[in-house]
Amino acid sequence: MTRFLVFLEQREGVLKKSSIDAWNRVQEIAALSAGAMVTGLIAGPVDRQPIGDLLAGDGVVYHANEELLRPYRQEFYTRLVTSLIKQESISALFFADSSLSRDLAPRLSVLLKASLLSGDLLFNRQGHPDGSFRPVYSGLATASFLPQRNITIYNLSPSRGMVTRSSADGTIQVLPIELHQQSSDNLLAEVRRIVLRQNSLDIAEAGIIVAGGRGMGSSAGFALLEELAALLGGAVGASRFAVDEGWRPHAEQIGQTGKTVAPQLYFACGVSGAPQHLAGVASSAIVVAINSDHDAPVFQVADFGIVGDVHLVLPKLIEALKEFLKKK
Amino acid sequence: MNIAVCLCQVPDSASVIGFADGALDRSRINEVMNPYDEYALEEAVCLKERIAGSLVTVFTVAPLSAKDMLRKALALGADRAVLVSAAEPSDPYFTALQLKSALMEFYEGILPDLVFCGKSSTDFQSAEVPSMLGALLGIASVSGVTSLNVSGEHLHLEREIEGGVEQIELHYPVVISAEKGLNQPRKTTVKAVMEARKKPIDLLAVSVDGAPLVLVSDFKALERKKVCRFAEDEKELVLLLSNECSLFSAD
Ligand SMILES: Cc1cc2nc3c(=O)[nH]c(=O)nc-3n(C[C@H](O)[C@H](O)[C@H](O)COP(=O)(O)OP(=O)(O)OC[C@H]3O[C@@H](n4cnc5c(N)ncnc54)[C@H](O)[C@@H]3O)c2cc1C
Repeated sequence: MTRFLVFLEQREGVLKKSSIDAWNRVQEIAALSAGAMVTGLIAGPVDRQPIGDLLAGDGVVYHANEELLRPYRQEFYTRLVTSLIKQESISALFFADSSLSRDLAPRLSVLLKASLLSGDLLFNRQGHPDGSFRPVYSGLATASFLPQRNITIYNLSPSRGMVTRSSADGTIQVLPIELHQQSSDNLLAEVRRIVLRQNSLDIAEAGIIVAGGRGMGSSAGFALLEELAALLGGAVGASRFAVDEGWRPHAEQIGQTGKTVAPQLYFACGVSGAPQHLAGVASSAIVVAINSDHDAPVFQVADFGIVGDVHLVLPKLIEALKEFLKKK
Repeated sequence: MNIAVCLCQVPDSASVIGFADGALDRSRINEVMNPYDEYALEEAVCLKERIAGSLVTVFTVAPLSAKDMLRKALALGADRAVLVSAAEPSDPYFTALQLKSALMEFYEGILPDLVFCGKSSTDFQSAEVPSMLGALLGIASVSGVTSLNVSGEHLHLEREIEGGVEQIELHYPVVISAEKGLNQPRKTTVKAVMEARKKPIDLLAVSVDGAPLVLVSDFKALERKKVCRFAEDEKELVLLLSNECSLFSAD
């Protein structure tokens, strides 16, 4: 029987939406490839109980409910996942792409001699996941990646807009699992602390992103984008120019040397659309560009656009939106 | 202190990406040092300048043509440069295996204190080699580091995570992958470039067993062009969006 394992990531005791989403997607895949079984793994304590209510379908979720695992710790997490994979004869492990999975998955790949794939899934005729495809060469091309080993690790890109299905329609059995500690390890000296930014939605998880570039003129200019983002429930992003000028923090940079994002709606305001910037937004569903230059390359990848000065267009757009939202 | 930096070459950002016979058409490609590797190298050189008796050695698994990049690394402050000749790396695992062999060989079985890599190469964008190398060397690795401070035996690192920053404290040896923001890479000077020309580049041949874990195929240049619909004014844009975008009208 095919056995899938989904790593359910918690951060500060909260299961991440993206990994619940990954669980639900894997359940759908399992339903198509008859007889596949889905198992979950949670490392660290989780506040909201019962866990089963958050997850769709049937399956077992192993929960290593240990304080030690609350922050991500590379060595402990590695040990926990590898031992469960061996114990349960797992053939495919799924992560929702995150800074944690990017750190952990390559290690697991080496230790398990497993093929590591990221991006969007490819399927074979039986409906089994059979590889992945994703952007390469700064987003200027795509390629397929095919597994060569029996165990496969998938680092899944977010599904567009992250629709989290809430259908708690099956039976989820939560079982405890223990981390077997070895005292001999010199990697255990690591201490991890997390400092979260206040009230800011991360661009990697946002369904709507309002990004600004040089055309915003200054850090003060971004106040318009913050207002627009707040109105839409989105996050603010930036071009490298805006980041290098110190107008915005690096965490908001989108592109080749910044983040890759896949929102449903992407606003590019005063952004020229350099290939290195577009590399990070290639899989956005809808792109809206606002630029004073009718010939700016960004319009070539935009679905909708307005030609004009952002300082004039944005206040009017915010007004028009408020009107629209009021009427609904 | 021994500091190793792993470098690779990638097409520069002005290159035309096209494919012929299932492989990258190299005729319109100009290769440069991977941008993230510049942050890795800069951090290594900064540490060397602060910690007396440190030695920075750069490694690349690449064809002979990568010598130019190694010379640039020497001009930027590396002490030694090693060109690792081996079979062409076919996946991140194979690259990491070759780097591991090269490090073990060069340092004669004693691990360097720090191994720096760039967070990701801009060609295949896998971001896997650093963590894989850590696992192969049997030491910790930290990916996407944006801040690094050394105090005695301890390293204080920061990496960006979704919605915040993770602070990590650990000791040597460790593999660190450098993220943009870690530092501001210096530029080469004419004098440094001249001096680098005189420095030797070591050639190191390694052979590794191990089949690739992943096969890459089916390259396609992206056709991204869309037809943009220009709105006359902001009201029209809002209407267009409310018709087209579910997120926009759902709540
Ligand atoms: C190795 C490498 C990696 C890189 N990585 C990234 C990356 O990750 N992300 C990234 O973004 N860039 C990256 N870049 C930089 C990239 O090449 C561009 O320089 C950068 O994206 C330009 O930012 P911009 O669009 O804000 O500025 P510009 O290119 O200067 O464009 C500004 C735009 O704003 C418009 N404008 C000006 N004033 C107004 C106004 N008042 N109202 C409306 N529009 C106005 C202009 O018409 C213009 O189109 C990288 C470059 C290199 C070499």
